[in-house]
Amino acid sequence: MSSPLSKPQIIAHIQKSLNYTVFDSKWIPCSAKFVCLGNFARGTGVLQIYEVQHGSAQLIKEVEKAKPIKCGTFGASSLQQRHIATGDFDGNLHIWNLEALDVPVYTTKAHKEIVNSIDGVGGLGIGDGAPEIVTGSRDGTVKVWDPRQKDLPVANMEPVEGETKRDCWTVAFGHAFNDQDRCVCAGYDNGDIKLFDLRNMSLRWETNIKNGVCCVEFDRKDINMNKLVATSLEGKFHVFDTRTQHPTKGFASVSEKAHKATIWQVRHLPQNRDIFMTAGGAGNLHLWKYEYPAQRSKKDSDGADVGVAGSVSLLQNATLSTQPIASLDWSPDKQGLCVCSGFDQTVRVLIVTKLNVA
Amino acid sequence: MPLHVTDYTWTQTDSTVHISVPLKGATAAGVDIVSTEEYLKVHFPPFLFEAFLFEPIDDDRSSAKVGNGVAVFTLPKKTHKVWEHLMITTDDKETKKEIRERALLTQEQKLSAELKQKAEKRQAEKKYALETMMKLEKVERDRIQQMKDAEREKTTAELAAWQLRQKQEAEKAQQNQNHQIQRNPDTKTPGSRQTDIRKNKQVHSDAEKKKKKIRAQLPPPRTCGNIPVTFTPRVFPTALRESRVPEEEEWLKKQAEARRAMSAELEELEDLTEEERNPDWLKQKGDKCFSNGDYVGAVNAYTLGIRLNRKLPALYSNRAACHLKLRNLHKAIEDSSKALDLLTPAVSANAAARVRARVRRGSAFCQLELYTEGLQDYEAALKIEPHNEALQRDAQIIRDIIQGSAGQNGTQ
Repeated sequence: MSSPLSKPQIIAHIQKSLNYTVFDSKWIPCSAKFVCLGNFARGTGVLQIYEVQHGSAQLIKEVEKAKPIKCGTFGASSLQQRHIATGDFDGNLHIWNLEALDVPVYTTKAHKEIVNSIDGVGGLGIGDGAPEIVTGSRDGTVKVWDPRQKDLPVANMEPVEGETKRDCWTVAFGHAFNDQDRCVCAGYDNGDIKLFDLRNMSLRWETNIKNGVCCVEFDRKDINMNKLVATSLEGKFHVFDTRTQHPTKGFASVSEKAHKATIWQVRHLPQNRDIFMTAGGAGNLHLWKYEYPAQRSKKDSDGADVGVAGSVSLLQNATLSTQPIASLDWSPDKQGLCVCSGFDQTVRVLIVTKLNVA
Repeated sequence: MPLHVTDYTWTQTDSTVHISVPLKGATAAGVDIVSTEEYLKVHFPPFLFEAFLFEPIDDDRSSAKVGNGVAVFTLPKKTHKVWEHLMITTDDKETKKEIRERALLTQEQKLSAELKQKAEKRQAEKKYALETMMKLEKVERDRIQQMKDAEREKTTAELAAWQLRQKQEAEKAQQNQNHQIQRNPDTKTPGSRQTDIRKNKQVHSDAEKKKKKIRAQLPPPRTCGNIPVTFTPRVFPTALRESRVPEEEEWLKKQAEARRAMSAELEELEDLTEEERNPDWLKQKGDKCFSNGDYVGAVNAYTLGIRLNRKLPALYSNRAACHLKLRNLHKAIEDSSKALDLLTPAVSANAAARVRARVRRGSAFCQLELYTEGLQDYEAALKIEPHNEALQRDAQIIRDIIQGSAGQNGTQ
C-alpha cells in the first residue's frame, strides 16, 4: 500500500487575517520575513513587513502609501540592499529601501494605467548582467527599466500605431545566462503570449492559448531558457519546452486542465526547477512535477529540430480557502517554505514536506 | 372436497402422543402442516388429515418428522394423563369449525410474531455491523491524523531551529564586525599610530577600489530599444475565454445580420450575390478601391452600401472623401454633412470619425473658396482633437489666407 504520507504534504503553518485587500506577498531574501502589499478600503496603498516567529507572524512595520500597490519584486536588488520594486494602481514604479520607507530610492511614472505585473532580474546573486525590472500594464505596454537610468525605459514593447491595445496581465524574465542575453515573456488578456529578445530587440516567439493569460514564469531566470509555464483562465495551464524552437511550430507544449477556475499564479520551486505550484481561483493549490520525455527533441519531416513535450503529474493538492489565492512565493532559503495570500484578506505561510523524494 | 385420511396410527405415553400419517406418495415439500394447541392439520392435496385433539398439547415443544412416505408427529401433552381417544368425540360441525378458525388464527399470529422477531434481529445485527465499521474507520482516520500532526510538529520545530541558526549566524557576523572595529583603536603607541593611520587609509582605499570594481563589473544600462507589438485581433474589450467564444460569435453574427436586415425589401437587388448585399463587405470593397485609386468604383460601392443601410455614417464619410478626390465638392459637402448628422451623439467613441468628417467638409469648403466655413469646420475638429499638429497647421494656413484676402479686399 503506497502510504498517502509518502507524497509531499502541504501544511498550513501560519494564517494571518488582515484588514485590507492583499495583492502580493514576497519573502525578503535571506530572512524569515515577508512583505505584504495591498490596499486599504479607503483607497490608499499599504506595505507591511511580517516576521515568522514561534508559529505566528509578527507585524514589524507598516507603511501607508498614496496609491494602492499591486505587485512587487526583489529580483533586481542586491543581497545586501534588498530593495523592493513595486508597481501601483496609478502606473508608478517605485523602488523602496525597507529600512527607510518614506522616500523611494527610485521612482518613475511607468505607465498610464495600473501596473499589473512586475519582475526583476540581475539581483540577489542570480544571473549575470545589469539589474533590470520589467513592468506590464493595462495600457498594453511592457517596459524594461534599469534603476540606474531615470525616467526612460531601457526597452519598450508597445502596440503599433492604430492597434487596439490589449491588457498585459503578466510579465517574466528569463534566458539571462550571461551579460547580454535577456528575454521577457508577456501574457495578455486575449490569450497572446509573446517572447521578446532584449539582446536583438525583437519578437522571438508568439502564440495564442485561447484564454486570457494570468501568469507566466520560466523555471529559472538565469539559465538558457528551459521551460516556460503559462497559466490562464478556465483552469488551464501550458508547459512549453523552450530549449528547441522550430521556425514555424514554435515550442512544444503540454497542457493540463485543473482547478476548475482561473489559475492565478504559478511558481517554480527555487531548489528544484521541475516542481511548481499553481494557485487557483477556488482557493486551492496544486503541486506538480514535470517529467522530461526520453528525447527532448526530434527531427520533423523537413529535417528541422522540433521539441518534444514531457508530461506533468500532480503530486499533491490542498484547498485553503474559498476565495482565489492571488499570490504565491517560495522562500529561496528554506526548501518547502512558501507564503501565499488570497482575496479572503488572509496571508498564509505554508510548509511543503518531502520535496526531496518527489 | 379433500379426501380425509383415515388410515393414520397413533400411540401415546403419559407425556406424549405420537401420530403417524401415511403420505400416500406426496413429497415432503408438498405437505402443509398447521398445528396449534388443540388442532392438527396435515394437508397434502388432495388428502387432508384433521385432528381435533382430545386434550391440549404443548405446541412449542411439538415436532414433526416428514419423510419416507409418512409424517410422524411427536406432541408432548400439557397434562400428563392417558387419553381415551385421539380426537374429541363430537360430530358437531359448528364446534369443529370454531376450533379450526381459532387454530388458523393462532397460526397466523405465531407466524407474524416470528417474522417480526426475525426482522428485529436482522436490524440489530446491521446496526452492530455499522457501528463496528465506523469504529474501525475512526481508528484509521485518527492514526492518519496523528501522523499528519507529528509531521507538522516536526516541520515547525525544524523551521524554528533554522530560524535560530540564522539569528545566531547574524549575531556572530555582528560580533566579528564589532571585534574588528575594537581592534583598531587598541594600538595607541605613537610609532604604531603612524602606521595605523596609513593602514586605515589603505583599508579605506581598498574598500573604495572594491566598490568601484563592483560598479564596473555591472554592465552599463542597455541602449534604449523599441519593439512594436501587434495583437491577435479581438472585437471585445473583455478577456478571451474559451467557454464564452460561442456566445460571442452568436452576438457578432446577430450584429452583422441586423445591419443586413434592411436590404430584404428591395427587389432590384435580387441579382446581387450574398456578399454584395452586406454593407460591411461593400464598405471594405470601397476602401480597397479608394486605396487603389479607383475613386469612381469606390463611390459606386459606397452608394450601394448606402442604399442597403442608410444609417452607417462611415459610408457617407468615405464617399465624401472619394468625392473630394474627384473634385465633386458639393457632393462631398453633402455627404460629410450627412455623416456628421449620423454621428450626433458626440461621444469619445466616434470622435475620430467626427474629426475625419469635419476635415473633409472643411477642405471641400476651402476648395470652393468658402474659407470662413472651412475654418469653422477645422476649428471644430481642433476642439475634438486639440493635439493634432496637422490640423493646427492647416487651420493656421486657412487663417492666413483669410487675413491675406481680407487685407487685399481692404486695400482694394
